[in-house]
Amino acid sequence: MMTSSLLRWTPAFIAVGAVAAAAIGVPLAASASSPLPHKTPSQVIELMASSHVSSLSGTIEQTSDLGLPSLPKVGAGSDSSASSTLELLTGSHTANIYLSGTSDARIQVLDQLAERDVIRHGSDVWIYDSKNHTAQHATITAKQHGLPAKKVPMATPSELATKLLGQLKSTSTITVGADVAVAGHSAYDLILRPKATDTLLGSVSIAVDSTTGLPLRVELNARGQSAPAVSVGFSSVTFAKPAASIFAFTPPSNTKVTQLDKQHAKPKADAMPKTQAKAKPATTVTGKGWDAVVSISKTSADSELTGSPLFAQLTTPVTGGRVFHTSLLNVLITTDGRIIAGSVSIARLQAVAAAS
Amino acid sequence: MLAALAAVPILIAVAVRVTERNPGNGRGPAFLDQITHNGLFVAVVGLTVCIPLFLPLTVGVVAGDTIAGEASAGTLRYLLIAPSGRIRLLAVKYVGAAAFSLAATLTVVVAGAIIGVALFPVEPVVLLSGNTIGVGDSLVRSLLIAAYITVSLLGLSAIGLFLSTLTDVPVGAMAATIVLSVVSQVLDNLPQLDWLHPYLFSHYWLSFADLLRDPIAWTSFGDNAVLQGAYFVIFAALAYGRFSGKDILS
Repeated sequence: MMTSSLLRWTPAFIAVGAVAAAAIGVPLAASASSPLPHKTPSQVIELMASSHVSSLSGTIEQTSDLGLPSLPKVGAGSDSSASSTLELLTGSHTANIYLSGTSDARIQVLDQLAERDVIRHGSDVWIYDSKNHTAQHATITAKQHGLPAKKVPMATPSELATKLLGQLKSTSTITVGADVAVAGHSAYDLILRPKATDTLLGSVSIAVDSTTGLPLRVELNARGQSAPAVSVGFSSVTFAKPAASIFAFTPPSNTKVTQLDKQHAKPKADAMPKTQAKAKPATTVTGKGWDAVVSISKTSADSELTGSPLFAQLTTPVTGGRVFHTSLLNVLITTDGRIIAGSVSIARLQAVAAAS
Repeated sequence: MLAALAAVPILIAVAVRVTERNPGNGRGPAFLDQITHNGLFVAVVGLTVCIPLFLPLTVGVVAGDTIAGEASAGTLRYLLIAPSGRIRLLAVKYVGAAAFSLAATLTVVVAGAIIGVALFPVEPVVLLSGNTIGVGDSLVRSLLIAAYITVSLLGLSAIGLFLSTLTDVPVGAMAATIVLSVVSQVLDNLPQLDWLHPYLFSHYWLSFADLLRDPIAWTSFGDNAVLQGAYFVIFAALAYGRFSGKDILS
């Protein structure tokens, strides 16, 4: 009796075991590869700088864990612009990216039951939104390579890596970590750590493809948090030339097309506060690199921002204003309407607020 | 049950046609605003509406009834008198449930296509990526979506089969299967459990829209097939373990 009951449950044990082994074993097997020749940090940076990938097709995954209350994907109020900005911060996103030469590029942000596209074919740039059935058209000069960065809803690992390296290089200790595998490509792991000790951002790790030098993944790690606060990386990538048909776009018949005039095209506010500092004259930057603090004087968006019910929910009152806290960034909105932000402690923000 | 499923796209199409009001952009189920331009979207809207509840409901009823239904009707022992064996009975019952999943999905697609063509203009279909494809291509895509959704329901069918071997009360097995499908979808919407999401059998249900992109994003099709395969292997083995040693009393 005992043996027969054991016998008939055997397939169930095997099935559960096999599925568990596959679920655990497959990701492990993917990360095992032969060790790469040793390189110093400056050699890896050189490899990255010398990278000239003109053709690729791949899928980028972006995940964020900023310690923010996650917003439900469905439900009332999820369509407002404030929550869609927050959704970009809290949610995870997948996008396909295609590059061919310097003047053909396309990024498809794959939303559930919807899609956003930015397509460049020669001098034409199309921005398409399947949810609202809108298309925007702009022209671009041949001098500019790839997609106009301001129009793209998601940053690619290489844009992010170049930007971060440029801004943080001088104030960082740079090391090369153990080899990593990203999307099946073995890569050097360039790790930037701040020389300053009071930053929220603990380290930035950039996975640089060992053969092409293309940054494959960028991870921002917050202090005291094991999972990366932000991770943008390829989940698959090939360096073959994509089919030309991918870059062809004609707006569909029931779509509202707007022509974007170059002079009137408003640059979208970037997620990085440091680039805002460059774009807006009313901003001042205190400090440099990792612990830089950006102060923005009274903005027109104030009343819209502070009036939103989400604002009260997401911020906590402190002396001198309210604070929006994430694991990477603290934002102090002072009572007199200034915005002071940085990857530093709240006390440092208050000190900057008081000083200026 | 198939008639009830067919009624869903028909109701949607008639409601949109009668009110003749374009439900503004981004309101109501996805693709609903496309219907008035193009009748071929009725099938897609029908599926979007049916996936969370109606399809799992009918599949749960069929899969939950497989063994328990025979047991409660007192016919199970007669089926097993024939020297076909219990494994074969389980296999036949599972194939039946899987065939129903296919029939149910196709019913929604076909009913949607017919009513859509009857009530609305037919035009080349605009994909999510902004590309336009011909009517013939769009029918191929509809069939691909039907295949995707059928595959999506295979895991649930296996769960229903296993639950059906646990009890002689078919209603219990049906209810448990349907409740599980709802629980899985609720868990899939809780951001705190995002580590669990890729393992939930309902996780890829709405990703059928990846077949409406250009180029088609096949990744979700593959991931979904692997996931459903894993659920099938586990629950078919559990059903075998339970059923092969079960005392058949009725």
